[in-house]
Amino acid sequence: MEQSRKQFLKKFLIGAASAPVILQACKKDDLSGTSGSGSGSGSGSGSGTCTVAPTETAGPFPTITPSSLVRSDIRDDRTGVPLTMNITIKNTNNNCAVLAGAIVDVWHCDKDGYYSEYGGTAMQSVNYTGVHFLRGRQTTDANGLVSFTTIFPGWYSGRATHIHVHIYNSAGTSLKITQIAFPEGANNATVLVNASTANGYTKGMTGYTYNASDNIFSDDTAGVQLATISGSVSAGYVLTHIINVPG
Amino acid sequence: MIDAASPGAWEKLVFDSSYNEFKMQAQLYNQGNRQKSFAEMLLNNPQAEKLHFLVSTSVTGYIQQLNGKIPGVLDNLGRHFLQFSQYRFEIINSDINNKAAHQVAINFFSEPMCWHDSINDFLLVSDVAATVTEESILTNLVQLQPFLSVSSIKEN
Repeated sequence: MEQSRKQFLKKFLIGAASAPVILQACKKDDLSGTSGSGSGSGSGSGSGTCTVAPTETAGPFPTITPSSLVRSDIRDDRTGVPLTMNITIKNTNNNCAVLAGAIVDVWHCDKDGYYSEYGGTAMQSVNYTGVHFLRGRQTTDANGLVSFTTIFPGWYSGRATHIHVHIYNSAGTSLKITQIAFPEGANNATVLVNASTANGYTKGMTGYTYNASDNIFSDDTAGVQLATISGSVSAGYVLTHIINVPG
Repeated sequence: MIDAASPGAWEKLVFDSSYNEFKMQAQLYNQGNRQKSFAEMLLNNPQAEKLHFLVSTSVTGYIQQLNGKIPGVLDNLGRHFLQFSQYRFEIINSDINNKAAHQVAINFFSEPMCWHDSINDFLLVSDVAATVTEESILTNLVQLQPFLSVSSIKEN
């Protein structure tokens, strides 16, 4: 058996759905010639219909856990020029007073222009740790403010640099889905960051879509969607922006 | 598969959390809540396919609480023995107005295993990573059962 087993070795993966599955019956098996299964914690191989009881302690004991989106540092494993985002939400139904308790989702692409998402095939599995990079959720404080620690987004063909924002009221009802644009001009942050090969940005600005040509931002001539950016490549940048919603 | 009738505490938390997240994220693809069911949303906007991924964010915390052990599959001694790091979360059905219609599935993918032999409807398997000595190797016997499948295979 020992020798033949090695010729027999085949690797395979077992996939299992989460529904509890009860072993229907334990059967008397012909185990002669096999190497047995280790620890003898009472392998009750009876011949009737019975159910193998778990020998382990009960558990896990689940505890209520917020969505993994709820976090202020949304970087996970993504690298790039540091960016702090300070977004203030104001209420157009209340004379543009700040809106406390609003839920704010943000998401943006990494320095190479990729979003976290499932791959092309619906059958793809993912590792359960850290697959939601550059996505986060915060609730506005008494000043209507949420802050996120992230990296300066890169860009991809057809779009100007942008950050997606979805604002909900405290009950989870959508108030506004919008995007934040980045300022342009000589030596603006987007130009400097995308030239920063030391920080892993490789695209420069060749082929870049500017705000005026961008499908989303081109109609925003008043600059309502335009953020204020301060800082430097070496020290990192701070993005400040106000979004007015019908709260 | 997890739905309103799932009995376990873990399943109930996954059910509640994923339904709340579905109702929030669905508004991305269903502004004004014109469509009610997930199927209608998919039909109307193929982008709604992304909801599988977006809603999965609500259950990653619960998946981490499993400590890498696949629930529901016991070996013939009644032990959880399958380790996982890969999973796939899917929305089977849902409806923003009817929580009872919400159904999700989580598939867990075990680490690679060696298959040594089949004994009736039991598989004799061992961890690929387990140290192979000349004398012996630790194995598990697991019964073929509903919702247990082999997802990929490689000959050595």
